[in-house]
Amino acid sequence: MDAARHDGQGGAMTPCDVTTGFFVLGRCGRPAVTGCPQCGRPVCGEHAAPQGGHCPECLAALGHGSRDPHDPSWVAGYRRRHYERTSETYNDTTWYSSFDAYDRGAFEPGSGYTYDEGDFGSDGTGFVDS
Amino acid sequence: MFWRKQRAAIARFHPLHQALIHQRGFTVSLRRDDWEPVIRSLAGHAAQVRRAKWRPPSRAGAVLVPLLRVLAADMRPDGVLSVAADLRGMEVPDKNGTPHPMPVQHPVLSAEQWWAMDPWLRMRAELRDGSVLELAVTDRTRRRRIRKRNPRGKIKTKVKSKTVHMVSVTRRLPKDAAVRRPGSAPPGWVRVRVRPGSRTVIRASGKLPGAPTEERLMEAILHVSTEPFRWTPPGTTGRAAR
Repeated sequence: MDAARHDGQGGAMTPCDVTTGFFVLGRCGRPAVTGCPQCGRPVCGEHAAPQGGHCPECLAALGHGSRDPHDPSWVAGYRRRHYERTSETYNDTTWYSSFDAYDRGAFEPGSGYTYDEGDFGSDGTGFVDS
Repeated sequence: MFWRKQRAAIARFHPLHQALIHQRGFTVSLRRDDWEPVIRSLAGHAAQVRRAKWRPPSRAGAVLVPLLRVLAADMRPDGVLSVAADLRGMEVPDKNGTPHPMPVQHPVLSAEQWWAMDPWLRMRAELRDGSVLELAVTDRTRRRRIRKRNPRGKIKTKVKSKTVHMVSVTRRLPKDAAVRRPGSAPPGWVRVRVRPGSRTVIRASGKLPGAPTEERLMEAILHVSTEPFRWTPPGTTGRAAR
């Protein structure tokens, strides 16, 4: 499928660019409903903060991320701290930059990273080729 | 009956939450999304049950739940996440070996030593890139009981223990996945073994001495878990990047 996806009605759809996963990184890929006011990346309804519409990364950077692992949004905030710490532990700057590059991919269209199906499952429901 | 409301609240908890309260552990395999009700139930515990006797083991909230969140984030909805948690602690008789006498000299009357092995957590997750991650945490404790007589004739007994937390993480890559040796070696406390083949297996193991806090222990488990993923550049292993 082409990188530019389309919705079921044939209109152009902007996929959510939020990074998902912890060790196996990917993109959400759900239809975006808004743009993050901080970084501008398209964000779907599930990843947009209820107040302000920030993406999880910017929310964590602003210090509003959850510190409680029972909260589903905890992973997104903890992931960046984990990559920072493990880069120091392993003395491996490429490890952190791999995550950072993935995260910055939102600003680099066509950077080679592809979208996964996010939480939609493998049947690709809701997506059709143009 | 005493504690009637709290007993009723426990009866409404998720069955695995109840197992953590009453049996201090469980062994179960569930699909990724089926773990969310378990975590949600655990999150509501403190608001409904205050009795300390019925509190879930502290490692459930501090180690198990974060690891469930991390592994679930890397899984597909239909991926299976298996957990065998035994949070009964080290005092259970079947985790303790047989005491062996040790040579002694005055003023020690007798000394015996035994080992306790507590494999308290095992997890297996089918990740969305097609690899399978297996994680095991075992506490190994050396215990010594020493009886000695002081100059006034009193006999006193001392018990000493020394614990090492052993973490082992194995990642079985999808078939013909590209493997690349990381640019830097892991820290000295992490050991890596790689078995090449059509499905490469990477095993990282680490030993943590002393008594770290549960938060530090969880971080250390994730640090060891990081090593198998450094061998595959992001977006190269399989389905997540296709």
